[in-house]
Amino acid sequence: MFGRVPLLGTFFGVFLGVGDYQEQQAPPEAAIDARSLRALSFDLLGRPPLESEWKRWCSLTRSRLLDELVGSSDFWTQWFEEQLYYLLLVNNFRPQQERLAAVPRDLFEKRLDVREAIHRIALSSSFDQRNPGADTFVTVVMEQLAGLEITKNPRELEIGKRVYDGAPGTFLGAAAQSQADVVRNAIQCRAFASHLLRREHERLTRSKPEAKDLAGWCARLEKDPRCFPEIVRAWIEGPAYAARVARGAPLENRAFVRALYVDLADRLPTFQEAEPMREALDSLADSAPLRSITARLLLDSGKLAPRSRKDLSDAPAWVRTQFLRFFGRAATEPELAEFTRVLGEPEAKLETILYALVSSPEYNRY
Amino acid sequence: MDRRTFLKTAAATGGVLATARLASARAAAAPASAVPERKTKHLVLVAFAGGVRTRETFGTPQNVPTLQALADEGVLYTRARTSNLGHFGAALAIFTGVAEQRGIRENARSNDVTLFEYLRKDLGWGPNDAWIATSGGAQQVNYAYGVHPDYGAAYGANTLDGEGIFNREFKLLLEGWGRPRVWSEAEERQLAALRASLARHAGADMADAGGAQVERFLLEELTRGTSDLTGPNASDAKALRVARNLLTLFRPRVTAVVLQDADTAHGNYGGYVEVVRRNDAALGTLWQAVKQDPQLANSTAIVVVPEFGRDRDLNSRRGLDHGDGSEDLSLVTCTCWGPDFKKNSIVKEEVGVVDVTPTICDLFGAKPRHSRGKRLPGLFA
Repeated sequence: MFGRVPLLGTFFGVFLGVGDYQEQQAPPEAAIDARSLRALSFDLLGRPPLESEWKRWCSLTRSRLLDELVGSSDFWTQWFEEQLYYLLLVNNFRPQQERLAAVPRDLFEKRLDVREAIHRIALSSSFDQRNPGADTFVTVVMEQLAGLEITKNPRELEIGKRVYDGAPGTFLGAAAQSQADVVRNAIQCRAFASHLLRREHERLTRSKPEAKDLAGWCARLEKDPRCFPEIVRAWIEGPAYAARVARGAPLENRAFVRALYVDLADRLPTFQEAEPMREALDSLADSAPLRSITARLLLDSGKLAPRSRKDLSDAPAWVRTQFLRFFGRAATEPELAEFTRVLGEPEAKLETILYALVSSPEYNRY
Repeated sequence: MDRRTFLKTAAATGGVLATARLASARAAAAPASAVPERKTKHLVLVAFAGGVRTRETFGTPQNVPTLQALADEGVLYTRARTSNLGHFGAALAIFTGVAEQRGIRENARSNDVTLFEYLRKDLGWGPNDAWIATSGGAQQVNYAYGVHPDYGAAYGANTLDGEGIFNREFKLLLEGWGRPRVWSEAEERQLAALRASLARHAGADMADAGGAQVERFLLEELTRGTSDLTGPNASDAKALRVARNLLTLFRPRVTAVVLQDADTAHGNYGGYVEVVRRNDAALGTLWQAVKQDPQLANSTAIVVVPEFGRDRDLNSRRGLDHGDGSEDLSLVTCTCWGPDFKKNSIVKEEVGVVDVTPTICDLFGAKPRHSRGKRLPGLFA
């Protein structure tokens, strides 16, 4: 449905009034296409590129871009946020402790691996408060950390509940006698790595891994717990991810919120800005209409300081760029003609163009 | 009513309750195959309250073209018996299936179980599956749920008065960003042109007419709220518009609306008739929204019923009270329209407004264990 558009083109010389793109030469076949750039940014960082990033990244090869993104500070921040969301540690249950807030930085600095990071999260008071009582706590630990089905493991659940209450027992193959032991044993059991890698693979590629591949990744992670970024990179460079990009995927509400701020305000939202919006969207079965309204709120607020139409030296070039950035594809000739025509009307505003784009169903996929 | 009074009442009505429980148990024991597959997935229940006689509705069809059209495509009950329990008690009876005397200014939750509680508890519906839009007044929040120990707030409906449809989180956003401005006609025209251009490229894959419709409703709410609605039925019109927006935005399983402006009839017969006409028109807008929404059009039922009528004769102020015990007061019409109902059918057999709750429960598969009504006869196709 969407063609791949190399980003190095003459029109970039006038992209948003910046004129140095023609000088950034790279082999056309090596330049990353717009669709992949947008998808990689969302999948690895949870947001589209900021304007400055876009300018720089569009001249990189795919491999070079992956060097920058996988394992970066922003990569780990996004990974941490996804784990919190997976464990439903949101709203009032979002961890506030400094030790938890330091997890992305410690991962980036390789002072922590993914197993240790999740262990730290699961030992937090937020996790305990989110999952109160023996039954809930042990069930969540078994299901979400170890990927075990409770209905198939009722005996393990009962043992875990007794251990949670302080009784000695063998839980998930190891001795245990406390709530902390319940978490530790789940984190250390063989099923943990398998479950973590399966769900992370599914999150990134939107497909189930082959059993043989999964076993191989598990072996790698068991051997070197810090190799997670390398495994992710292998996924991203594999056929499953290529197929996922070709198919497209719906944009999650939390990614949509970040995208709006990045695409309209060229900055990330603060936590206080993003959370109410995410919550409002999450409360609806179909958030699409409200997504449009939130875009309208931002555009009509007068707080974004958007460019004036008069500042555009080349309206068609600006339109082309917006399509590439927001949709990951080139504007068709009829689209370019219509958008340029509207921009040429006396009362035209850039907000109208931006609103049409970000309220489009196409913007809600990537 | 306090707990002691409740227990006393429960003891006094124990026989009735026991019988009801026995009947429920028998019904519950019926094989699953006996429950027919229904097409209805959503229902709008309009308590056309405030006291509305049949004379001014189906007795004067030009006042109520929407109701008449609903009846033409559905089932009309011409003799639905009501009890003169005051507006609060009588309207509550629609939602509980129990007619019980209440103070006209009573502002307390009932011990009776509401329709929403039966549906949400029995069918495991979530908080967003049942909503009630009211035209205002402190009493009306009590329609959402009662205080029966087996049910209660956990199974109640969300309530919204006519002031808006947005949740707490969204209101926080509004505080931070302000409300969107009303775009000029030129901007709207430009936007439509741009969207049409994008839609031509996207084709059927991403066509989103329903979403655009909901977006329009939301913007209408945000830019104008419901403050633009004025006139003798302003409160009712707000409630109906909120219900319309709720329905198309959240697509709840049950959306109830409680009206009240018709009570202006006490001192103003002409105003009362105008309220009836305007409410019918607002109901028509809601019906159109249902018909235009692909997800609702063939899966939504509408039930409209007044809580009671009004006196046969005008009072000394050339208004209409409600207290003479006449058939104008105690018999109302009940209109039912939906994919599972008969078409163009008139039922002259006497039924009760208390039959509405058990009928809706039956439609969705819940058990109205404490209701004193029964399923409306001759309804299902």
